[in-house]
Amino acid sequence: MGRAIRKMFKSNYLLTAGVIICLFWIIMAILAPAVAPYDPVAQDLGIRLQAPSGAHLFGTDNFGRDIFSRVIYGGRYSLLAGLLTVVIAGAIGTFYGAIAGYVGGQVDNVMMRFSEMILSFPSLILAMIINAVMGSNLFNTMFALIIVAWPTYARLMRSVVLSVRENEYVTASEGLGASRMRILVREIIPNSISSVLIMATTDIGNQILMFSTLSFLGLGSAPPTPEWGMMVSDGVDYFNKFWVAGFPGLAIFTMAVGANFIGDGLRDLLDPRLRKQF
Amino acid sequence: MKRKMMALALGLTMVLGIAACGGGSSAPASSSAAETKAAAETEAAGESAEGGNTVVVAMGSGFSTLDPGYVYEKYPPMIVNACYETLFKFYSNDGAAEPNLVDTYEFSEDGLTLTMTLKDGIVFASGNPMTSADVAFSINRCKNLQGNPSFIASTIESIETPDDKTVIFHMNQVDSAILSKLTYSSMSVLDSEVVKAQGGTDAEDAATADTAQDYLNTTSAGSGMYVMTSYIPDQEIVLEKNANYWGQATNVDKFIVKIQPDSNTQMMTLSQGDIDVAMNMTDDTMAELAGNENITLVNAPTKTVGFLMMNMDEAIGGPVSNPLVQQAIRKAMDYTGVQTICGEGAVTPYSIIQVGFMGAKGERAADYQNLDEAKDLLKQAGYENGFDVDLVVTDLDMEGIALTDLAQKVKDDLAQIGINCNIVSSAWAAGYGDDYRDGKLGFTVMYWGTDYNDPNVQLEFLPGGVVGLRAGWTADMDPELAGLFQAAMEATDDADRTAVLEEIQDKTYENGPFLMIAQAPAHIGYNNRLDGVAVSDPYALDLTLINVK
Repeated sequence: MGRAIRKMFKSNYLLTAGVIICLFWIIMAILAPAVAPYDPVAQDLGIRLQAPSGAHLFGTDNFGRDIFSRVIYGGRYSLLAGLLTVVIAGAIGTFYGAIAGYVGGQVDNVMMRFSEMILSFPSLILAMIINAVMGSNLFNTMFALIIVAWPTYARLMRSVVLSVRENEYVTASEGLGASRMRILVREIIPNSISSVLIMATTDIGNQILMFSTLSFLGLGSAPPTPEWGMMVSDGVDYFNKFWVAGFPGLAIFTMAVGANFIGDGLRDLLDPRLRKQF
Repeated sequence: MKRKMMALALGLTMVLGIAACGGGSSAPASSSAAETKAAAETEAAGESAEGGNTVVVAMGSGFSTLDPGYVYEKYPPMIVNACYETLFKFYSNDGAAEPNLVDTYEFSEDGLTLTMTLKDGIVFASGNPMTSADVAFSINRCKNLQGNPSFIASTIESIETPDDKTVIFHMNQVDSAILSKLTYSSMSVLDSEVVKAQGGTDAEDAATADTAQDYLNTTSAGSGMYVMTSYIPDQEIVLEKNANYWGQATNVDKFIVKIQPDSNTQMMTLSQGDIDVAMNMTDDTMAELAGNENITLVNAPTKTVGFLMMNMDEAIGGPVSNPLVQQAIRKAMDYTGVQTICGEGAVTPYSIIQVGFMGAKGERAADYQNLDEAKDLLKQAGYENGFDVDLVVTDLDMEGIALTDLAQKVKDDLAQIGINCNIVSSAWAAGYGDDYRDGKLGFTVMYWGTDYNDPNVQLEFLPGGVVGLRAGWTADMDPELAGLFQAAMEATDDADRTAVLEEIQDKTYENGPFLMIAQAPAHIGYNNRLDGVAVSDPYALDLTLINVK
């Protein structure tokens, strides 16, 4: 098993790079209190807007807060938002799509029209409306992102299930008298999940960007939370001080790239048509 | 697609950030070259083909109208003040209104009649002489147009013009701010003959019958030092000297006012000598120009003020409705730090009347902060271990300073005495605006811009006033202050007004639901060849005081 994994990483540089980048940020976020040299919300107006130096690796912001510490802590919010949104939206979408695809008929029709209705709203605007109505904090923003994200998973899952349910093993289970629920959970979903998995990894980056965009617009977490998107947004006022927006921007960029690498790598690994290249 | 766009935008932000990094180190080296170039271009700009002086001003935003009857935004008064004149005027940024078109004026005993005589020899740019009929026409027109600024004339019941030189205002109540109100751009005296010819009317049905706005948006019809000769919306306005000007003109023959929203652009064009005055500098862009000896930077407080509101109603405000807690918060704030956040030139007023207003008592003492006293006060109030409170903040900014930035500073300061603020952001359009106006907010950071340049606008912060009620402060909770509100409205003599206003400030210094934390600064940069450039609250910039050296 260990050997197989080693081989997998060796043959798939994209995946390896993606995993390293993402693990880096995740470990940084988990170990934030140990890694960050300063309290991320402690203000010190005497040293505001200082350029990167030995004492403050990434410089300081408008309130004299250490940007390095804020970027490290910021991962906790941005990554949490990205991962949790994808997991929850992916789970909802998977079951929703699987049920629609497997049951079919009128149920499928009604369920899919409903998800398309949500898809037809511009996603950013919809998220902003949800946020504006419910008030903006970390969880409401995640809720808004989930609402916007799940229909895409549902549609993907349904289309895969439509072909999977025609397989002989499904017919065999039916013939053996397995309940529909059992077939759905034991046969259909496990055999359809790979494409959703690939999409989910790619989506992590997107969700972090989306969350950052909402924070940028003042709809994400409340200040002074060190959230990457909000830090970029704060930095826009200090355009000649590149480090204020630059470093959190770099964090978002690398995390998004890393997650995309994992998605691409997984696709290469799981897609049977591409698999023989390795 | 949208997500890709966002990724692109963020990527671009980064690239630009890195580019700015590279530029930062080389800036000092190139600035001396820029200076010599600026000097050369300035001379070229100063001597235009006609041999007259041309001054170029850049300002941050355009506006919806230049018709004096409708103007109500921040920047139009700059243009209106150059092309039109008002009965009274603010010649400096602090002090009382002084007569401009008016020669003599007198209030009746009961304060309900104001009789004024116009100066001799005033003519409009068209050559028509100004008479009392023009004054009555202009003010009645503004009132009857029922536009945004019409409320300014609301205390004027009727205008009587017994002869060409005399104007008598009959008031429906004593209004101690009337002279200040008469300085407002909407009260400019228009050339009634010209405006009427363009469809203007001062009749009761002016709101629908008047059709002069289109004309006045692009042409001026006043008696001011300049006439507007060209206006391209959101681009530029050209003002040329009024050949028929009746008064003493400055030596600037032509103003070109350019709309340049970005302060970096203003900084660049100013340092290159393409513009002479940049109205919207920031701390950041000012720092770039700090070593440039051709450029002077002005930082001065505006009368836009940021304040903390602590609701007096215990059901809404909770602990912050307690006067002891309110005083503890006053003692806990680091006012110098707030000023740093707001930028160069910010000040904290003594109490509810901003620095610069007639009768203002100046600034709150710099050493007012005292954490030990603040903790003691909290202890007396029964909150020895502090408390948690929601600090609601909205998505607005005060002259470019985000209210969320102020809220973060407040949170940090109050944490030192054990008050833990949870910052709750609430969009203005999605509830905050209504909650604020309806007095449903317990604890918030907000800002206040003045409608017209008179301390009376601040009286709304008193119990029973518009803003006072938003903090649950009714007149019966503090009858003494409510009485002073009335007294301030009725005192017409400057000395009497000052006395009442000072008493009000003393009584709100350590009392009440409001704490003014800072007046936002204005940052103007200008070329040294100019004289008389100054921050102006009523006019943004008074063009009629600028001379070329």
